[in-house]
Amino acid sequence: MSTAANAMFEGGRAAPAVAATTGELFDRELILKYMAAGAFWLVFAPSVGAIVSIKFNYYDFLGHVSWLTWGRLRPVHVMGVVFGGFSTAVIGLTYFIVPRLCGVPMYKPRWGHHIFWMWNIALIVGFVSLMLGYNSGIEAGEFPLWVSIPVELVLCMVAVQVVVTIKQRTEPRIYVSLWYISSAYIWTAMNYAFGHFILPYYMPGVNNAAMHGLYIHYVVGLWITPAGLGVAYYFLPLAAKRPLYSHKLSLVGFWSLAFFYPFVGTHHYIYSPIPYWTQTIAIVASMMLIIPVWTVIQNFYGTFVGGWKNFQDSYPAKFIVIGALYYLIGCFQGSTEALREMQRLTHFTDFVIGHSHLTVFGTFVVWATAGMYWVTPRLARRELYSKNLAQWHYWLTVAGFSVMAGDLTLQGMLQGTMLQAGTDFVQSMVAMKPYWIIRSLAGITMDVGAALGFWNLYMTIRHGKPIPVPAGASADYLPEPKWS
Amino acid sequence: MSGKDDHSDSISRYEPSGIEERHGIVPIWLAIVYAALLVWMVWYTIVFWTDKG
Repeated sequence: MSTAANAMFEGGRAAPAVAATTGELFDRELILKYMAAGAFWLVFAPSVGAIVSIKFNYYDFLGHVSWLTWGRLRPVHVMGVVFGGFSTAVIGLTYFIVPRLCGVPMYKPRWGHHIFWMWNIALIVGFVSLMLGYNSGIEAGEFPLWVSIPVELVLCMVAVQVVVTIKQRTEPRIYVSLWYISSAYIWTAMNYAFGHFILPYYMPGVNNAAMHGLYIHYVVGLWITPAGLGVAYYFLPLAAKRPLYSHKLSLVGFWSLAFFYPFVGTHHYIYSPIPYWTQTIAIVASMMLIIPVWTVIQNFYGTFVGGWKNFQDSYPAKFIVIGALYYLIGCFQGSTEALREMQRLTHFTDFVIGHSHLTVFGTFVVWATAGMYWVTPRLARRELYSKNLAQWHYWLTVAGFSVMAGDLTLQGMLQGTMLQAGTDFVQSMVAMKPYWIIRSLAGITMDVGAALGFWNLYMTIRHGKPIPVPAGASADYLPEPKWS
Repeated sequence: MSGKDDHSDSISRYEPSGIEERHGIVPIWLAIVYAALLVWMVWYTIVFWTDKG
């Protein structure tokens, strides 16, 4: 680790958190670096989204600089949340979760440091490229080739690390988090290559649209979903201080997701020239995703029953529970939205945007945030810097996001109803203006919450009150902070 | 890991994470949901396989 990076984590006083890590089960310095970087991207990318949302009402806001036009910033927002904020945090949490569940250090542990720099530099270059107008033209797969190559390399390297570590494990059983996390990397290493190296170059026309439906849903369903569930399943029993409700339900949830999700891709192309029967399969598969979702929800709330008292001082628990609620709502929206009648009502409206925010941010970013709250004080061996900031983070997220999701859902249904009644499209857009203002204000509320929360985590690493480490404690000793 | 796997109340413990997990059950209400969705899936697939205009 560089001197500069060491200085960042050591702060102004002696820091027991950053002892030499060679030979430990997991690398505290490395994971904390990922948490800090993930926190930065989780403030940056949603803030870009807030700027983009303002342009709906004030179309010339920052519009005189080509770098800051809607068409260039919107991909930065989407790619920034998915690959910047969420994925950076998840990769860091992977380096904690996998060794802890396998009982052995991560395979090739030094790779983690190379990957950290390769990943973050690729993200910076990627966002600058998008703002310069270099875009591969595939939604959620917009990074140009020179960014996609290192990103693909990272996904493959982490996939190898995860799979080999699982192979070398000392714990005989494989906990559900390992199924989800290993599958997420393997699926995504393939899907990312498909979306960035094949789709933009070798598939023209309707086939491209159909395959793009697959790609973009694989990003959500075979990366964000399993990676997020892997994280949530790991921290759920720890945060609730209770056993996971049901191993059986874990199995049902994982395999039903793995079986049904690959078929949902074309459900955004209902009434398109894509063959009717493939649309039907996508609709059926979308509805069948109720099985893994409700299974996960039963497992999560079953785990918490009887342990609600642990909530008061546990921010990871709070974020997991509210994320589970958004998961239930957002995924039910997604399933029913695929039905032909619902598509007729909601297509080309902000209902779809509401759904994607409920799942990607409301659920999976919130669950990744729970993981960040759990690991940061323990790995830094410091108390959470400020309970108040954590409270503000939580409640501004809940308030801002609930308003945003409700607003987008409602306006989508209203606009859909107007269009079905024969209202002129432009008039329907004008009628949406008040809702877009509410969306922007709600988004800014969330962003302020995120900025406060992640500043809190950063300050925890630098200036949190050190937690005494018992004499003779192992290098992997994890203290129990007061508020986490 | 400790505990039995053949009973719904048995608890397994994963080391070194300290995570505990019940073998658990699939609740009846959820099994009914699974069955209803499977029946609906077959019906919808057959009825809507082709566009009948």
